[in-house]
Amino acid sequence: MLSGQLYAAILAEFNPLEPVGPAPVYTFSVGSWQVIISNHMFMVSVAMLFLMIVIPIAVKSKSMIPRGIGNLVESVCMFLREEMARPLLRDQTDKYIGFIWSMFFFVLTLNLLGMVPSEKIIYLLTGKVNRFGGPATADIYITGAMAVVAFFMTHISGVRRQGLWHYLVNLAPKVPWWIMPMIYFLEVVTMFVRPFTLAIRLFANIIAGHILLAILIGLIMVFKSYFVAGISIFSIVALSLLELLVAFIQAYIFAFLSTLYISFAVSSEH
Amino acid sequence: MIGMTGVMLAEAGAVVTNWAIAAAAIGCGLIIIGAGFGIGWIGSKAVDAIARQPEAEGRIFTTMLIAAALIEGVTFFALAICFLVLFWLRG
Repeated sequence: MLSGQLYAAILAEFNPLEPVGPAPVYTFSVGSWQVIISNHMFMVSVAMLFLMIVIPIAVKSKSMIPRGIGNLVESVCMFLREEMARPLLRDQTDKYIGFIWSMFFFVLTLNLLGMVPSEKIIYLLTGKVNRFGGPATADIYITGAMAVVAFFMTHISGVRRQGLWHYLVNLAPKVPWWIMPMIYFLEVVTMFVRPFTLAIRLFANIIAGHILLAILIGLIMVFKSYFVAGISIFSIVALSLLELLVAFIQAYIFAFLSTLYISFAVSSEH
Repeated sequence: MIGMTGVMLAEAGAVVTNWAIAAAAIGCGLIIIGAGFGIGWIGSKAVDAIARQPEAEGRIFTTMLIAAALIEGVTFFALAICFLVLFWLRG
């Protein structure tokens, strides 16, 4: 039988960092190392399975006019390809559009799955204390991994298009020779700062939203009155709608900036 | 995992006093002033541009969102430094 303290500790907590940080779901040991599977890794697997099952089913219909969820997926993909990628990449859109679509839908699914309070639902249904679901993009390692993938994608595509020597020479614009070392150094530093900012932007937006929601829920525990609970839940509803907008915008920004960096690497204009 | 930075800095001898917490909170306010000015400026220019040429509303709105998200990225990077002091530098 769970005490009242523990009952409240799943639905609302004092520490706002508790519901957003990673928690171990399963631990097994390989030799002398402990391998911890955290709930963020579990959410990444859930997102992967969701996308691998839903998207092929959605776009499977062979009629000329798409219906239902296939229409949604197809219109989003058309927007990303025609309005976002084609003005930047021009004639090489089709080579990189698979990567861009994958990044967009993956980040979007992770953000939206983070808004679903799955551990609270499981607790209310079964009564078991657990930490199964969480905002997966609120983990700097997961967004860092996606930014590293975008980093390697830009440079490998640039090297494959222009050859290694021409790619390294064309990193900087043509400036007079006495200022070239500083400009080249700045370009190299920019190359390494870009994936860092990609990761930090997505991570900080999502985790700021979730910390704010956790603080507002925790206010109910601090005040312990119905009036504060009413105001708090109303503002949580409004903030969750804002968080849904932020989820879409951040997924679009991630895909757009990846496209922009790839276009810098494969364009032969410098 | 989220406290690793804090543990590393605490073992290096960082001490969080009351002045540090006050400075972090004031820093958060200053950051938000800067971000508010920047994104408000972008929004105002975007509305002016849409008023000049209403048929370009889609492109202008998208560009405004991209610029606002870039500013927010820098804002949250600075806010993360404030969070470092407020939440994670505990021994």
